[in-house]
Amino acid sequence: MKKTNIVLLVVIAVAIGVIVTMAGDFSTYVTFATAKEKEGKEYHVIGTLDKAQALNYDPVKDANYFTFYMKDKLGESRKVIFYGTKPTDFEKADQLVLTGKISGEEFHCDKILMKCPSKYKEDQVAMSTKKM
Amino acid sequence: METKYIGEHLLPGQLGHFFAVLSFMASLVATIAYFNAVRIKEAPLQDSWKKLARYAFVVEILSSFAVFGILYYVLYNHFFEYKYVWRNSSRTLEVKYLLSSFWADQEGSFLLWSLWHSVLGCILMFRAKKWEAPVMTVLSFAQFCLASMLLGIYIFGYRVGSNPFLLLRQAEENINLPWVSLPDYLSKIPDGNGLNPLLQNYWMVIHPPVLFLGFASMIVPFAFAFGGLWTRQYTEWTKPAMPWALFAGMILGTGVMMGAAWAYESLTFGGYWAWDPVENGSLVPWITLVAGIHTLLAYRSTGHALKSTFFFFFISFVLILYATFLTRSGILGETSVHSFTDLGMSGQLLVYMAVFTIPAFTLLIMRRKEIPDVKREESSYSREFWLFVGSLVLLIAAIQITFTTSIPVWNKLFKLNMAPPTEAVFHYNKIQIWVAIVLGLLTAIVQFLKYKDTPRKHVTQKLLWPTVIALVATALIGWLGNINFRAYGAGFLVAIYIMLFASVYAIIANTAYIFSGLKGKVRSAGASVAHIGFGMILLGVLISSSKKETISIDKMKMIEPGFFGEQSKENPRENLMLPRNFPIQMGAYHVTYAGDSTVPGDPKTYYVVRYEKKDPANGATLESFTLYPDAFVNTKGQEGLTPNPSSRHYLTKDIFTYITAVPRKDAANDTAQYRTHQVQQGDSIFFSSGYMVFTGLQTQPENRNYQAQTGDLAVGAKLQVYNKNNEQFTLQPVYYIRDSTYQFSVPDTLSPLSLYVKFSKIMPKDNKIELEVKEGGTFDDYIVLKAFIFPYINVLWIGVLIMIAGFVMSIVQRAKKTAEKVAVKSGKIAVSEEL
Repeated sequence: MKKTNIVLLVVIAVAIGVIVTMAGDFSTYVTFATAKEKEGKEYHVIGTLDKAQALNYDPVKDANYFTFYMKDKLGESRKVIFYGTKPTDFEKADQLVLTGKISGEEFHCDKILMKCPSKYKEDQVAMSTKKM
Repeated sequence: METKYIGEHLLPGQLGHFFAVLSFMASLVATIAYFNAVRIKEAPLQDSWKKLARYAFVVEILSSFAVFGILYYVLYNHFFEYKYVWRNSSRTLEVKYLLSSFWADQEGSFLLWSLWHSVLGCILMFRAKKWEAPVMTVLSFAQFCLASMLLGIYIFGYRVGSNPFLLLRQAEENINLPWVSLPDYLSKIPDGNGLNPLLQNYWMVIHPPVLFLGFASMIVPFAFAFGGLWTRQYTEWTKPAMPWALFAGMILGTGVMMGAAWAYESLTFGGYWAWDPVENGSLVPWITLVAGIHTLLAYRSTGHALKSTFFFFFISFVLILYATFLTRSGILGETSVHSFTDLGMSGQLLVYMAVFTIPAFTLLIMRRKEIPDVKREESSYSREFWLFVGSLVLLIAAIQITFTTSIPVWNKLFKLNMAPPTEAVFHYNKIQIWVAIVLGLLTAIVQFLKYKDTPRKHVTQKLLWPTVIALVATALIGWLGNINFRAYGAGFLVAIYIMLFASVYAIIANTAYIFSGLKGKVRSAGASVAHIGFGMILLGVLISSSKKETISIDKMKMIEPGFFGEQSKENPRENLMLPRNFPIQMGAYHVTYAGDSTVPGDPKTYYVVRYEKKDPANGATLESFTLYPDAFVNTKGQEGLTPNPSSRHYLTKDIFTYITAVPRKDAANDTAQYRTHQVQQGDSIFFSSGYMVFTGLQTQPENRNYQAQTGDLAVGAKLQVYNKNNEQFTLQPVYYIRDSTYQFSVPDTLSPLSLYVKFSKIMPKDNKIELEVKEGGTFDDYIVLKAFIFPYINVLWIGVLIMIAGFVMSIVQRAKKTAEKVAVKSGKIAVSEEL
């Protein structure tokens, strides 16, 4: 067997090994209910902002504390605590992807990804009298 | 009835679209003509095809430039009847950012890409000689594909491309809106939508052209390799392809790092690299191209690794197309912070990828037996063997990055529900650090090996001193630099130390090689210089990220305890509120927010943040400087702010500051009044969010705004403040009489509770004092910021520059050698010692 072939085999083995070890890092998109089952484990939860409940961010009190309620895909609304500043345009987001874990009754989240309204709507040229 | 619209400028758009279609047709003609020039062997016929192809390609070049010019013209003149102009610019936009508007959307960036193809094609027509026809076939075909992206024509009900000259009133989303039928609708659109504030940055003017030149130049090595395979001249293409591959590597690398610099300068994720899909998309092809350059070198010197060279050059270009697909089809949706518009061209982008991938790899597989190979086995002491190993290590890096980046694709393909790693950066780092280690070590050692075989003594002899010096230097850096990054455990720290050695070793060994291996011949030292730069990049990345320090830590602990528990690793409380004119300790600095300012003609608000470093011994100011982080506040259609960081650059570190929140300026003004309280020792005063107890007087008061002078009669009121959570704070307003006559009062404030307390009177008769308390109901003069220290980030940037310089040196040298026209017969390879 040629040396290069051996090297190739080693490389393939390493690549597979890397991908297998990586697989453990991957998370899944779940609902609050699933996340609640394994309290303390990090998950991604997709949902929408629950506009019936109040947002709370007061940098004067604490610049790193932002709370809101999110409805997940099954409609369960849960309080979310984000340790950071309130993201720009938060209220306008169509969809939220939170990374974090359940702790007690709250979802402690360390990353928020917002999906903004589709460009289609945004591109509509609004011609209200106000804008003229 | 047809509406007659007033004030529209339709001619530029019609011309623009005409030229877009012309460029589409001309590139098709050029492709077919060049294809025939390759296929047909009779000289006169071949020449006439070639001639036709050249004319067609020249037409293509001219029309690309015409489209470019016309689009710029409509942008420059603010013709808002065009959707592209309306969407991406506004009248207030500074002229220098018009170019950023130009490539803000897909159409503009495809146009930029095809413009670079035209320029490269122009050079290739003159320089590629006998490779002109096959190489230009591939290039013209790519132009054809790119031109189709700008068509915006419906073919069999499917829209092909997107026309940048689409009129606003004809845009899909506006059809049937009432204003569309108004003849004078234009007078009601006084201004455009404006450019995304993130793109209003000088890096966004220069980074896209460089990056797209990188993208465009990646096709040249691909085209040469494909031409070689297609015409069955399996070996000759390698020589002219070399300088092009180096050029592509240099430009793409520069473009990627410019993107990193842009992210560092104007994005606020607090760094230069976040392993975002968009960044990965352009990094991975660079990695595989570099692998290809190294196998090509091995082949040029020994005849080994030709097949892998084909593979790497093919895959690099395919990965460019894949990156284009990923970032522009909208598939990344939930995983990338970058926002992309989906123009409904995903299908077209997939076809673009397929038409290059399938022929190239099919041909490679079909003709793999015909590709010459050396039967003899490489020695383990040969350079080519380790070049090959290094390339495979690069391939592993590319596979890992691509695999994770492609998660949304796997989800779509296999109907999975995978989410990206929750700790994305560490996920990449913990794997790539080992790749970096192996690469660093290989970079250090392999230069000292000769092709074919190396006497054992030679290696140990030449490597001895560089190794010793590198070990000592690593120990010194580790010891003096106090590298102690424990956030991810001791195991990762060990990896960091090994990588520290590997990168230092790469720098030192390659420097040594210039003298001991090349005898100081700087002309041929391109590779060594590039490798030194690479080593410095590794070193800079390592130090700046493992020693990155957040100084804006909020120590107020305003929330219940338990906050800094297990969560604290991911969630250091990195945002700090600075009330105006209220110095707050941040690391070694006292930082004061001194107000904001705006400049006419510039939509940004600048925040004045003063840093002062004081000698702890005597309070003397050691250093002071002011940073002006800025932000677009309440830009059109957005409630929040889009900040740009500001940094203080030192040779050895950067202090990086940006605004994360500001109060709404239109919030109700502070109308609260002081209320007077007369208290005795032990009395309490209640306020809305807590209470304070007057615990006594202090004759030598301590208040940071009070400077004692001789002859002062001063007294401070000691106040213990409790908030609702029963947390304690102290206040000490001061009352003093100076020069026996003037009475002064130095108030004290507790900004987190927006509490102001004045000590206004002493009433010795009643044994009472008078305090005035004010609560700023809407305390709105503050900023919230984040600040980091990036140590030795300059090592990274200098490393990038050195690496680019190394690439340039190699290109110059290779291009010269190609020009010397040494005839190399197939299979017989000139063995050259220099790299």
